[in-house]
Amino acid sequence: MAVLLCVGLSHKQVPIAIREQVAVAADQLPERLRRLKALPGIREAMLLSTCNRLEIFAVADQRGAADDLIRELGPLAAEHAVARFEDEALLHLFRVTASLDSMVVGEAQIQGQVKDAHARAQEAGAGGPLLVRALGAALSAAKRVRTETAIARGALSVSSVAVRLARKVLGELTGRTALLVGAGDMAQLAARELHAGGVTRLLVANRSGPAAEVLAREVGGIAVSLAELPALLERADVVLCSTGSSQAIVTRELMVRAVKARRFRPLFVIDLALPRNVEPAVNELENVYVYDMDDLERFAAQNRELRAQELQRAEEIVREELAAHRRAAQERAAVPVLARLRAQAQALADAELERTLGALGPLDERQRKSLRAMASAIVNKLLHGPTERLRGEQGGPLADAAAELFGIRDVPQTPAAGPESEPPSAGREPPADREKGAERGADVLSLLGRK
Amino acid sequence: MATLLVHIALLAYAAAAAAYLTWLVRPRDRLVSAGRLLLLAGLVLHAASFVVALGLSHGEGLAGAGFGSEQWRGGQLFSLLAAVTVAGYLALDLRYRLPVAGAFVAPVTLAVMVPAHLVHSGTRPIAPVLSHSAALAVHVGAATAGTAALSLAFALSLLYLASEKQLKAKHPGRLFSRLPSLELIDRVGWHLSVWGFVFLSVAIATGSLVSRESTGAALPLAPKEGFAVLAWALLAALIQARLVAGWRGRRVALLVVAGFLLLVGTYAGLLAAPPHGSAAAALLRGGG
Repeated sequence: MAVLLCVGLSHKQVPIAIREQVAVAADQLPERLRRLKALPGIREAMLLSTCNRLEIFAVADQRGAADDLIRELGPLAAEHAVARFEDEALLHLFRVTASLDSMVVGEAQIQGQVKDAHARAQEAGAGGPLLVRALGAALSAAKRVRTETAIARGALSVSSVAVRLARKVLGELTGRTALLVGAGDMAQLAARELHAGGVTRLLVANRSGPAAEVLAREVGGIAVSLAELPALLERADVVLCSTGSSQAIVTRELMVRAVKARRFRPLFVIDLALPRNVEPAVNELENVYVYDMDDLERFAAQNRELRAQELQRAEEIVREELAAHRRAAQERAAVPVLARLRAQAQALADAELERTLGALGPLDERQRKSLRAMASAIVNKLLHGPTERLRGEQGGPLADAAAELFGIRDVPQTPAAGPESEPPSAGREPPADREKGAERGADVLSLLGRK
Repeated sequence: MATLLVHIALLAYAAAAAAYLTWLVRPRDRLVSAGRLLLLAGLVLHAASFVVALGLSHGEGLAGAGFGSEQWRGGQLFSLLAAVTVAGYLALDLRYRLPVAGAFVAPVTLAVMVPAHLVHSGTRPIAPVLSHSAALAVHVGAATAGTAALSLAFALSLLYLASEKQLKAKHPGRLFSRLPSLELIDRVGWHLSVWGFVFLSVAIATGSLVSRESTGAALPLAPKEGFAVLAWALLAALIQARLVAGWRGRRVALLVVAGFLLLVGTYAGLLAAPPHGSAAAALLRGGG
């Protein structure tokens, strides 16, 4: 029986100080995957190493393989590692992929990381059909979570909220100019986000020229003099203020002149300084939008609350998709039993028919056809009930029972949970056993046929 | 046949409105896609109904092309206006993706179409001198296109004002995430206002010709004409202010809203005009 396992650790078990020590570098992945695949009883394996987790998802012959996998994580990780089996492991895979287990719930990066981890496993020859199907279902659940809930909507950090609000006012940021006034850490972070968001020109103004140049180099901008602020306000589309000044640098009077000179082009001002660098009255001016630290934090908090509200719905979607995946797995498990059951019964009926035809002596073609039709009808009617039941139950324990009862040995057994078992190759079972199985099946069917 | 097509189109518009309004509450992409497709289906059926009506006119020209036909009863101009507005919206949506405007356009289309088609009124012929008038055809076409453009600009201006208010107050409403950027609304609203102004200019000029053909007066002193000229003057001032002084944003949105309300006044004047006061009044009012 194939068992899905998950062993590893995440931000929930250990702090970053440990995670950074156990993380697997990209160039080490192929070798680690090959070692995992070589472990006894491991059929398929995938290693997910991100800044927030180090986890191995594997399909093994038995639960005991988890110990080997934990040892494979290394001594430090092994101390903190958690093992999950079957249902729990599958649910974890779905939740991780849907970003419900992430440090920032709803973040989009994890889906790409899971896909990448799986691609690496396939490249290293450690992947397999069961993980492919489980991953496919997990990604499908993640897609539903993203499209049907607001869990991924709304920025959560102050700097990303600032960028989103800038987009709300200015539209696409490509080709826009941002002015960074001062060198606060938060403003630098926001400047980098703006740059990543498409802002083309980044002007850095500081009281000290050399400091402006250093900062400009760090954020990929151009150093300008703070004395040119009135003119700079006319050019910029986004202004980021974070100086240590105790008085407002951007006053209403200064901005009134800038607005006219700008011909009312909208201006988004982010004030991350304490005390504030921008007079609150500036926000009253037409087409000027001023957001300070509190405003941005309030937006971020609202977004966090919204995500929390959506969490329950997201969990429901994951469970729905998980149930659908299990049903599909059980259906797949039932199909080989049905096919083999029918093939065995038909073969038996054909053999008996030929023997009977031989004993009856010469018959015309119409009579022979009628007898063949009768034999087929008996097989169909006998198997109709079991077929319907197996289809209705979608495999599961009933499929296993049918396989056992009719001696159909060479079909996969349904795992208790987790991914469906891979159909073993015909060569896996010794030929002698297969023959015995066929004989047993023939005996049972013979008895049934005589009734 | 034309009536049946219009009624099916109405159902499609109603379903589109339901899809867009549901999207406002539950933002699912498939609702927007459904709304868009339903609006398109409604528009195709609506346009087909015009073609069928034209076929029934038996060469009677504009007077018989559905507008004065026995097949349709009153409100035909509003029906045409609704169709052109929907077409304009779909074109905008194709270019800029503005589903939130769809949540405005679809219900308003329905609100215009239902009285235009389901409220029973008689028909009456247009004055014979105008039944084949090219000026009347251009006048009706330009007025319809201009009104459709300004209706869409009005919808976008309302969106702008709502979005701007939330951004200024720093209190995002429930629909905040669905609203497009202020820059996009302002830009698209501006283009629509310019087109509205151009079409309105043509409509006023050709309306003057039509009036002279039917009554002998090029610019009769009536509420309809008065509102139309005021709306035109306001739009001209708006364009001047934008081009010369760089006006944009809230004050432009407010001017567009005012311009559209004046245009509504024009239609109110049209409905209130005496039966033979103007050709367009005859188109709208029916009776006789």
